[in-house]
Amino acid sequence: MAVVALQLGFAARGYWADHKEFAFQMFPEASTWRADVVRVTADGRRVPIERPWSGYRWDELVQDRGLRYPSLRHHADAGLDNQLAFLASALDWVARNTPRDAETRYLEATVTAWHNDDPPAVEVMRSAEREDAG
Amino acid sequence: MKLLARFDELLGRPVSMRALALLRVLAGPVVLLHLQGFLADGWRGETYADVFHEPYAAWYPELPEAAYVALLSLGAVAAIAMSLGLLTRPATVTTFAVVTYNVFLSTTHFHNNRAYLIIVLGLLAVAPCGRELSVDAWLRRRRGRPALDRSAPGWPLWLVRFECAAIYGASGLSKLVDPDWFGGTVTWQRVVAAREDLEAWPLPDWAVSALTDADFHVVAAKCIVLTELFIALGLWWRGTRYAAVWVAVVFHLTIEASASVQVFSLLGIAVLLVWAVPSTRDRVLRIDPTSAAQRRLRVAVGALDWLARFRVEPARPGSGPELSDRDGTVLRGAPAVATVLSRLPLTAWLALPILLLPGVRRARRAGRAPAPAPASGPVGGR
Repeated sequence: MAVVALQLGFAARGYWADHKEFAFQMFPEASTWRADVVRVTADGRRVPIERPWSGYRWDELVQDRGLRYPSLRHHADAGLDNQLAFLASALDWVARNTPRDAETRYLEATVTAWHNDDPPAVEVMRSAEREDAG
Repeated sequence: MKLLARFDELLGRPVSMRALALLRVLAGPVVLLHLQGFLADGWRGETYADVFHEPYAAWYPELPEAAYVALLSLGAVAAIAMSLGLLTRPATVTTFAVVTYNVFLSTTHFHNNRAYLIIVLGLLAVAPCGRELSVDAWLRRRRGRPALDRSAPGWPLWLVRFECAAIYGASGLSKLVDPDWFGGTVTWQRVVAAREDLEAWPLPDWAVSALTDADFHVVAAKCIVLTELFIALGLWWRGTRYAAVWVAVVFHLTIEASASVQVFSLLGIAVLLVWAVPSTRDRVLRIDPTSAAQRRLRVAVGALDWLARFRVEPARPGSGPELSDRDGTVLRGAPAVATVLSRLPLTAWLALPILLLPGVRRARRAGRAPAPAPASGPVGGR
């Protein structure tokens, strides 16, 4: 009975959670998205992450969940909310895991998202502020 | 209370574990396919820890790289042992533990097919599914020890069935309540986005036009949703079960051809085995050993009867193949052969539609065992 209740609970949770573990909502949306991701440096420059920095490359740091080349328009495989939650986490992860980078204050993504056939919506996401930025 | 007692009795009723044993055998290669990418990366010195990942919890234990790769390798070895049925219970528990640990290392590892794999492995780990189709059973026989009871309380089997149906149900329901999905927008947009791929297929122009037409998807999306819901519900009733299984196989093959779903199709089709009635050797196939064709049928049944559904007995020379089904129905000749093939996992999908042919249906009706005569006496006559 516990397994049955747990499964039903997970299935219900899938209707509001960004990450829908055990909810089995397959191919939920046709939504697509793209993002211009930049590093905002201490002196205010906005440098696209397509350019390597301090020995780092975005496409080497972030390889999964369709985030490798964010400037290309992609299908949001598991839905937009899920996709953008991953993008937000990736910004934070890169900000936290690039210790040789002494100039970046934060990463910022300007996301254009098309929910199914709705008109595009634009939102801006930022990583947490980095403490190492000069 | 009576309902609860009946439910309790159902969970504890001993049933054949044959389907779970076969699922265990098939789950091993699925696990190897699942681990293949992680292991290939690991052996190259690349793991999830080197790239973006997101732990579910800060306290979740993470291993040094070498230990992590060793753990994945252990998982692969355990999966092979699980399939072979060598130290079945520890091997299955280890496989489940390694796969689950790895998936929960990062939210980026999580996919529906992996969730399904975890569920299946977890239920196989608690089911006594190593008593047949296993090296363990073979070793036991070789040592002259009595075979373990192949029946066990049915609750693990019922749980696998529930999860199997729940997956189609959850997927179908989420699409049913989403107006964009049920109205066709989602499938239409996906097909339009993949139009270039579609045009690379050997399809006539009219088919490409139809598939990229919004009106087509108004109907097609409803068919997809209703198909998923039909599978989820149809599996539960004997009258619709074979149709639901047949449709589910088509459904998985279609998904496999049109989308990248990792091990979902293989696992989904393998799990359908659990819908076989959990009893074994309750159908009798009688064949004439002097007939070469019937001997071939016996060999085929011997090799492909993975769910142990038939007892094969010799018939008198000159007679055709005869099948006594579990309900007492007796079939002879081609209808008997078609029915046999429809009950073998590898040929079922091809043979099931043959059972709908009027000749086979007539033979089935004619072969039904007569109802037992009413008992005589003052009460029996009513």
